[in-house]
Amino acid sequence: MYTWIWRRIPGGIPGKLFGCLVLLFAVLVLLFLVVFPWAGPKLPFNHVTVDGPSTPRPTSSAPAVPN
Amino acid sequence: MAATGEMAPASARGQSWRTVVRGLGQTLITAGLVILLFVVYELWWTGFTTKRDQHRLLTQLRQEWAAGKFLADPPLGSGIALLRIPRFGTHYLFVIVQGTSTADLIKGPGHYPGTAMPGQVGNFAVAGHRTTYLHPFYNINQLKSGDPIVLETAKTWFTYTVENIPGTAAKHQEIVSPNDIAVSYPVPDQPDQALKATEKVLTFTSCNPRYSAAQRIVVHALLTNVTAKSAGLPPALAGYTLKQT
Repeated sequence: MYTWIWRRIPGGIPGKLFGCLVLLFAVLVLLFLVVFPWAGPKLPFNHVTVDGPSTPRPTSSAPAVPN
Repeated sequence: MAATGEMAPASARGQSWRTVVRGLGQTLITAGLVILLFVVYELWWTGFTTKRDQHRLLTQLRQEWAAGKFLADPPLGSGIALLRIPRFGTHYLFVIVQGTSTADLIKGPGHYPGTAMPGQVGNFAVAGHRTTYLHPFYNINQLKSGDPIVLETAKTWFTYTVENIPGTAAKHQEIVSPNDIAVSYPVPDQPDQALKATEKVLTFTSCNPRYSAAQRIVVHALLTNVTAKSAGLPPALAGYTLKQT
């Protein structure tokens, strides 16, 4: 795969190196801004709330006061 | 000549076999690097994005307070109060946001909608990350009975003190199952007494142990001091140099 990419990028050695850096940067952006934010919350160590199956949480009778 | 004719297919087979193995190796190394990057993302990058969100929320909240805006029912994801816990040092400052969805909690510790607001009778319940996303509750297990938790709202300091909740089985620190919703009830652990709530309770929930979702760690506190901001700092923050950002 990497050999194939290296062969496909034009521009001699400097061009190839530059092309690789651009590709690497594009992959990192995709991972950090799209893939990881999507995958992160699916991991168990991000679950911090207490949630009943369907029980609504009773509310107190206290009126809402500005504070 | 016949020998070379026989050799050609064999070496072609060897060539394709090498290609498959090389491809597999590269794929596995790439997968390993991606997983390492994901660890970097979780442990470091999420803190960076949460810090940015917190900074924005803090600026917003101060502007709203300065403009005299008080929302009894704040929109999900907006800042509602500032949280300081002297046990965690004078630099510890978080904006508590409204809501406990994934999107709310990546911005900061989140207030369970429908539970009491700061200073009200009932239970001001807040969930927060123990790890990742700037981990506001990383050391929540170190809160001891008697530790102050200070909330700053538009005009008031509310100081809660970590302690057992009188008249209930709720200890100042509990380890419960993830579906034990009763810890956030107006009277903790007493589902039938919602309307009889008299105490002003604060409850934190987070995951336990760290990096696991097997249990929830819960901390309860009671309101012990109300100080108007015009009257200066509350006793729990005496000698504090307030962190402003």
